[in-house]
Order: sequence, then C-alpha cells, then structure tokens
Amino acid sequence: MGPLVTEPQKSPLILLTDRPVQLETPRHYFLNAFTPNDAFYVRWHLETLPNSVDLKEWRLHVEGNVGKPLTLALDSLVTKFKASSTAAVNQCSGNSRSRLQPRVPGGQWGNGAMGNALWTGVKLREILDAADLKTGSVQVQFEGLDRGKGPEGSASNRFMKSLDLTDPVLDETLVAYSMNGEPLPMLNGFPVRLVVPGYFATYWVKSLSWIRVLDKPDDNFWMKTAYRIPDTSGGSTTPDDLKAGKVKTVPIAKMPVRSFLISPDGSTKIPSGLPVRLRGIAFSGYGGITRVEVSVDDGAGWRTAHLGGDEGKFSFRTWELSWIPQRPGRYEVAIRATDGESHTQKDEMVWNPGGYLWNRIERQEIMVGAAE
Amino acid sequence: MTSLKGFALITAICAFFASAALYAQFNAGFYTLQGPGSIRQTMPSAATASASYHVAAYTLYPAMLAADDGEQEVASYCNTCHSTRYITMQPPLPADTWTAEVNKMVKTYGASIPDDATQKIIHYLQSHYTPENRKK
Repeated sequence: MGPLVTEPQKSPLILLTDRPVQLETPRHYFLNAFTPNDAFYVRWHLETLPNSVDLKEWRLHVEGNVGKPLTLALDSLVTKFKASSTAAVNQCSGNSRSRLQPRVPGGQWGNGAMGNALWTGVKLREILDAADLKTGSVQVQFEGLDRGKGPEGSASNRFMKSLDLTDPVLDETLVAYSMNGEPLPMLNGFPVRLVVPGYFATYWVKSLSWIRVLDKPDDNFWMKTAYRIPDTSGGSTTPDDLKAGKVKTVPIAKMPVRSFLISPDGSTKIPSGLPVRLRGIAFSGYGGITRVEVSVDDGAGWRTAHLGGDEGKFSFRTWELSWIPQRPGRYEVAIRATDGESHTQKDEMVWNPGGYLWNRIERQEIMVGAAE
Repeated sequence: MTSLKGFALITAICAFFASAALYAQFNAGFYTLQGPGSIRQTMPSAATASASYHVAAYTLYPAMLAADDGEQEVASYCNTCHSTRYITMQPPLPADTWTAEVNKMVKTYGASIPDDATQKIIHYLQSHYTPENRKK
C-alpha cells in the first residue's frame, strides 16, 4: 500500500500515483453513508489537470447537433436552471483491481476508489432541452479541462466519454456544482462534474466544460477501446479465452452489488464474550440495497444485518450487526448484499483484462482472544 | 542520476507553464517537488475576491527506479505523459505483459519513442519488474 500524502483541499490519502494524481480513500472513512469531500478518492487520466479555474472566463459549452448552442457560466447554471440533488456512489471501474488473479496492469486500487456524496446541480436533460437537440442525434459526449502530453488526436491527449441518448440513465444524470453541500474540490472536478447515478465513474467527467451532441456513435479511444468489459454474464472471462480472441466486449456501465465490513478492521484482537458492532456499507447500481447478510463462520451460516437510513437507491447504505464471539479463535467474517434487482454477491472470482467489476464477497479475518 | 532526473522534471514543469498559457479560463498541470508535508495547505497568497479559484501545485513523489541500463530512457520517455510511479505501482508482471504495455504506449497512446529506446525500455522493465526478478 502506498504512503499517505496530502494534496490541495485533501486530508492524507493513499498515494497511487502523483502525476496525474490518483489517491485512494482509507477504509475508516466508509463508516458513514457520506464520504467527506476532503477524503474523497481522486483519479485523473491526463497529467495536465486544472490547478485553477477563472469563472469569469470559464463556460460550459453545449454544442454539436443542436439548434441552439449554449455557453453557460457557473452563475447561469445555478440561477437559470432548477436545482436537483441525488445521493450517488462514485466508484472507479478499477476499484479493487489489485484483488484479481492473475494480476492485471493498471491502477492497483484496494477497495478505496469509491465514495458517496450528495450531488446538487442541473439535470442534464434540462440543459439538452434548452439546447434544442436536432433530429438524428444519437449520443452525447462529455469532456473536461484536463489534457495530456500525447500528440493531438491521440488517446493520451484528450479524455472524452459518451452516453446513448436513449439510455434511461440520462434522466438521472446531473451536471453537479455542489458535493455534500460544498463546492467540488479542484481534484474532484471543480467547477462542475457529470454525475451518472448507478454507473461507474468513468462517465462522471470532471471539470466538465464541453457537452457535445453527436449524430453518430463516438469512436474515440475512451469509448471504442478502453473501459470495455467482456459481453458475458458478470463481465468475467479467462486469460485463455482472451488469447484465443473469443472475447466480445461492450462499454462498462452499471455497478454490480458490493458490500464491505469497515469495523472492526482486523487490526486488533477482540476479547471473547463482549459485544462487537460489525458495521459497514453496501451499494448497487441495480436498484439499491435490500439486504445485507453477515457470516462469522466463513459462509456456513448467515445472519441478516440491520440497514441504516435510506438515502436513495444510488447511495451507500450503512448496515450494522451486533456480534458476541463466544470462543477464542480465528474467525472469517464474510459480508454479502442483495440489491433491488435480486442480485446477491457471489463467492466467485471476477477476471477480465481491464481489472473491472470486482464484487466478490469480502472477507475479514478477526482474532478473538480469551477473556480470562 | 538524481540531478539528471531533477533537470528532466524542471524542463517538464516549464513545459507545463507553456501549455497552460494556451487557455485563458484555467491553468493546469502545475506540480512541485516541494511537498507541503502538512495536513492543511494554506491559501495561495495571491487569493483575492476575483472569480479565479486556485489550488497549490500538486506534489511530486518521485519513484525509486531500479538502477540499471535503460533507467534513463524510462525516466525521460515514460515521464512525458505520467510519472514513473506508474511503473513501481504495478504488481510484478510477466515479461510479455511488459512488452504489450510499452507497445501500447507507443501504438495506442502515441508516445514518440525511437525504436532502439523502446527496446531498451522493454528490456529494462523485463529485467526488474517481473515475478521472477521484482525486488519489492
């Protein structure tokens, strides 16, 4: 695990890379449903990322296949459009990539490339309606202020993501200027970022400055080649099938169900006979969380945990269960969640070459000691 | 070696300033070797009530690369688009994965690296960062 480092507007976070900046949120921050802005993880693709934005000059451009191109100042977004708020989990496609076997190249995240915030901003649909989409529009493309040092026209120069105009997620999508009731930190996309509830963070373009309506599907590298998953059930494949050229891919989209034990974290021994509060979070891009179950015997028996307050189907849901370990010894605590579309986490490996979609049942070894 | 790397970084930092000047609405790509080392950084001294919002330069944490032939090519070419922490962050990877990664940088991401330097970089990575030879 990397060292803890400080960057502007951030508490000490786990360093993955310094340029471009990639920082992971330490585990204990996930005890609460909302992740503080200063602890929220950071992931940029291109190294020339913003250090300052002049709102006198900055505009959100809405262009392409539209009848009325728009250039919107931040003030216009705040005052001329209705504000909407959504609690939503932002999770990197490669969260937990370091768990895959065989290991795959890429950002070697533990479980902390995720966070949940209350996002406030303007519904994307309202902005698109104001721009008057022309017939023949098929996708909408998003780009931020970040640029790379690679040659123009190459994947290492610009980062762009697109969504289908027929995708129902567009009705939930926000152009957010507020995160947990505060302006976005520069490293999380000041002044506005896209919020695509239920979808992996690759679509949540930071320092969003261009919205382009396209009349044909986006074939830029970040859609056509990167961030794609095997078109199989669960998005898994094998190195052999990949080598044999058998793997068809589709763009990554919704986040499968996950759950985590946050406390206790296994760092200290627990005395037998005393109650322990097992606490954590769960989430899913498929209709929120309906059940969290805990096993203290490595999956042999399961007990249902108490769910915390419901902040909406795209949010973290906290859970808690009291446990009194009766005998000293080594315990394997396992957690599994079920979502609104009845998917339950499985105890199976996930593997694909991008290192995406990891959602295997999490386990924590806890040592219980004698009390006399 | 250290001074060479330092020089490369200063050159890179100058380049950031040049490219940042292209955009009136924002400044980007400022990094510094002098880390703040504190939990809360102070507001930049130039802060005013204008519409311009600044944060301090992002901090560089240079990686310790294995000392060997090819290190200089890695430090100069790979460092263009990303810091060499991208290398030290990786798990031990098989030799053919390193070949594929370097070729991806050239062919897919458009890194302009001469052929002989590309071969040297691949050989260097295969000599120090595979399951058989990775030191830490």
